[in-house]
Amino acid sequence: MNVRPPGEPRRIGYLYVLPAFVVYALFLLWPLLHGAWLSLFHWDGLTVGTWAGAANYSQAVSDPQLRGAFGHAVVLLFFYAILPCVIAFVLVSAMARTRPRGLTFFRTVLFLPQVVAMVAVAVAWQWIYSEHGPINGTLRLAGLGGLARGWLGDFDWALPSVGLIGTWVEIGLAMVLFLAGVQKIPRELYEAARVDGAGAFREFFAVTLPGLRRELAIALTLTTVAALRNFDLIYLTTSGGPGNATKVPAYEVYNRTFNTGEVGLACAIGIIIAVIIFAFTAVINRVVEGRP
Amino acid sequence: MRKPIVVLAAALLAVSACTPGSNTPKPTQKPPSAINTDIAKAGPVTLTVWDQEVLPGQNEQMQKLNAAFQAKYPNVKIKRVSRSFSDLEKTLRLALSGNTPPDVVEANQGYGIMAALVKAGALVSLDPYDKVYGFRKRFPAGVSQLNSVTPDGKTIGSGSLFGVSMTGEAVGIYYNTDKLAKLGIQPPTSWGQFEQDLALAKSKGETPIYFANLEKFPAIHEFGVLLGQTADKTALRRLVFGQGGAWTDPPVVQAAQKLADYAKNGYFSKSANAGKYNDSPTAFAKGDGVFLIGGPWFAADLQKKMGSKVRFMLPPPASAGAQQPATLGGPGLPLAITSKSKHPDVAAAYLSFMSTPQAMDVVTQTGGLPATKPATAKPTNPVGLDVFDAYRVASDKDILVPYLDYATTTFLDTLGSALQEIIAGRKTPQEGMRDAQKDYGDFLAKK
Amino acid sequence: MTSRAERLTTYTVLSLFAVVAVFPLLAVVSQALDLPHLSFGAFSEAWRRGHFARYLTNSLIVVTVVVVVASVLSILAGYALGTMEFRGGSLLFYVFLAGLMVPTEAVVIPLYFDLRSVGLDNTLPGLMLPQIAQSVSFGVFWMRAYFRSAPRSLIEAARIDGASSWTTMRRVLIPVGRPAILTMVVLISMWTWNEFLLALVIINSNESRRTAPLGLSIFQGQHQTQYPLLMAGALIVATPVVLVYVFLQRHFIAGMLSGAVKE
Repeated sequence: MNVRPPGEPRRIGYLYVLPAFVVYALFLLWPLLHGAWLSLFHWDGLTVGTWAGAANYSQAVSDPQLRGAFGHAVVLLFFYAILPCVIAFVLVSAMARTRPRGLTFFRTVLFLPQVVAMVAVAVAWQWIYSEHGPINGTLRLAGLGGLARGWLGDFDWALPSVGLIGTWVEIGLAMVLFLAGVQKIPRELYEAARVDGAGAFREFFAVTLPGLRRELAIALTLTTVAALRNFDLIYLTTSGGPGNATKVPAYEVYNRTFNTGEVGLACAIGIIIAVIIFAFTAVINRVVEGRP
Repeated sequence: MRKPIVVLAAALLAVSACTPGSNTPKPTQKPPSAINTDIAKAGPVTLTVWDQEVLPGQNEQMQKLNAAFQAKYPNVKIKRVSRSFSDLEKTLRLALSGNTPPDVVEANQGYGIMAALVKAGALVSLDPYDKVYGFRKRFPAGVSQLNSVTPDGKTIGSGSLFGVSMTGEAVGIYYNTDKLAKLGIQPPTSWGQFEQDLALAKSKGETPIYFANLEKFPAIHEFGVLLGQTADKTALRRLVFGQGGAWTDPPVVQAAQKLADYAKNGYFSKSANAGKYNDSPTAFAKGDGVFLIGGPWFAADLQKKMGSKVRFMLPPPASAGAQQPATLGGPGLPLAITSKSKHPDVAAAYLSFMSTPQAMDVVTQTGGLPATKPATAKPTNPVGLDVFDAYRVASDKDILVPYLDYATTTFLDTLGSALQEIIAGRKTPQEGMRDAQKDYGDFLAKK
Repeated sequence: MTSRAERLTTYTVLSLFAVVAVFPLLAVVSQALDLPHLSFGAFSEAWRRGHFARYLTNSLIVVTVVVVVASVLSILAGYALGTMEFRGGSLLFYVFLAGLMVPTEAVVIPLYFDLRSVGLDNTLPGLMLPQIAQSVSFGVFWMRAYFRSAPRSLIEAARIDGASSWTTMRRVLIPVGRPAILTMVVLISMWTWNEFLLALVIINSNESRRTAPLGLSIFQGQHQTQYPLLMAGALIVATPVVLVYVFLQRHFIAGMLSGAVKE
């Protein structure tokens, strides 16, 4: 039998990789390329398309409605990513030196919103925000009935309301990540800092922040991606309304294909979303984790 | 180093580097002599029908009619897929160019759906079948007009017949008789009186008009009724069909101003833009609202929930006794045959079955408003009778204006959004109508 | 030692956020069960009217096939990429990794037209194949990381004993890699079960092929303000994954913690 010493190039490797690669190439890479191709056309999905070149992309950055959609995505980035990460980071840092008991229980509960299907989250929160739902009910009970309104149908409040759902979903993720990270920071570092006379602030910057760099990068990456990929939530709570107040790029991909018949534009928006995710991921990892 | 990805990509791109949509063949039409009307001889057939008759009365209507058709032709099985109007709108366009589209669909008239489908060759012209079944003879000319599109898909309101409607629609005002009695008023006989009633209701803490507008299209009904007061019906029809006029014309802006005023005066439900439309009968029955602007689709549900406490009227004229003003309406969503259907003849027989006087009986009995005269049935409950008679008056006096969202492919969204902004006080009527006109102008220029 | 104040703060904060996480879900349960009366009527009506038996079954079929196929493919590819050297191996890995960045939104529309042209639209295989592709992207990354971290001594020992690459993988590394594989299985299951956009676009007319999340969205469209029904439906759809999560939460969280980028 031919016994190859380990470490030498093995041709059989290709065979192992082949099945995965075939499926991957056919059902992910190919559609991606096809989408990029379609984005170069004006096409309604029914009749023959016409060449558009970069017109769809320039429309995506110049059309007021689409710019609005990307603007809304930025707002949601704040709610989905910045807010949860900042809150979780600050709070976990405050807990940095304790080793609480029952951590498993807390972790399980905190992480729960991440596991529930987004569709179910949307259906549930759509009731919570409704005219006679719990939020308005609580406001009325507290004598603040004047503040009660149809949150998801209000031009000013719809986007923040949706954003807060995102905050609810993501904050558990951030907390669990940082809790795990903080457990790994050796206590000795804190003791040493304490001995050196460092106050809470110095401790934070000298011990906690560096120790949680990796977790911060992961949290920001995951939550940023979630912010840009929130089709499910928008579709089921507001459908982009009222007016265009909650239109986001992820929703426009669907909307422009099935409602307005602008398939090329929809594909262009999809590609833009992918590029943005890629760019954000690269930047976050470079900045937060730092190059060794 | 070999880059398998690049090679693969290049190969595949080369293979399909064709313009998208260039490989959807346009189907051919069958000449009349080849049409088979003996459905029983067609063998076992499954007819897939997509409709949006989800409200309880409408649902019952479809179930009864489908059952009757299958009883008459036991070799035909009807596979019914029903979903809400919004959901149907979203999935219909592209579904028809797929590989397994339904045979029969309820296709909304106007540029958004019907004309777009005709342009893509996705619907079968009913003209050949008209020669056999006499569809046009069954309806008033205006009804067939609205279900027609020129074969190139560029103009609505004329051309070949593409749809057959089961129901008719006229938008009017439902009112809660108990609440009117409590306020000490009679149903208004003039629009001025109506506005006084609204103010009175508001002062007594009632919601004058129940209005749920999350889906955007309900505002079009409110707006349409106001347009009937301020604008001339011929001008409105020309506007919708793209034959002349603009949404920034003074009578149109006037109606938008009224809409804004009503919202400001609190005549609509609070948080109107957040309410769900299909919830209206339930809410109205629970006492939310003295008036409810809507069409016959609410009647069955309202009647079941409110009995004789609810009645219906057409929008009153400017002054009592004057000419009946225009309002929105026309034939209900028509049934159409898809061009990829493998059983167009059976589908045509289905369309014919669904528009006979006997079918109209079923529509009436389930609380719907029939498109043509029923054989024997007449509504037995007060509100149903109101709606029935109102439609007769509207057809006779020819006051129906097509739904405004027919005007462009995206008008439901653009006009609907503009109206939402006006109602919320975020845009002036002038600004909102300018937005609508922009979409309209762009569309007409591209046509 | 940490002061009592610090410990108190810690428990307070943790408890507060635990309540925030759970409260909406409790509200949903309370609405569905019509508390304080406690009735299961909403559930049985939702189950019946929402056709959830059919839709849950479809979801189960899709998840099972996707998980099994994606796991097998990922283990095979991850093994090769993690233990063998061959030309283009690095590049191949990066190609797979890139897939983690590709959002569904960028491929769903082309997939709609492509699947349609080969007759896979409105079929469960049409829904499974793209999800296998997406899962493989994560799976290859994950299994490669595991195989790379496996002790070389194990592999060498097997090699010296004359084992082929296949036997090494099967007999030696996979048994040891069970936790990693379980994590991968659990994450792919969750992502596949919860997938909505693909189902909405691909299963657009054949009702009998809808998955649970899609069924829920249609259900909401039909019963817009009948909230007890809707909440019951939401619970029906979300519970399977939540149950698996509760028992295997360690694996879920371990997967997320190590930076899985798929969402």
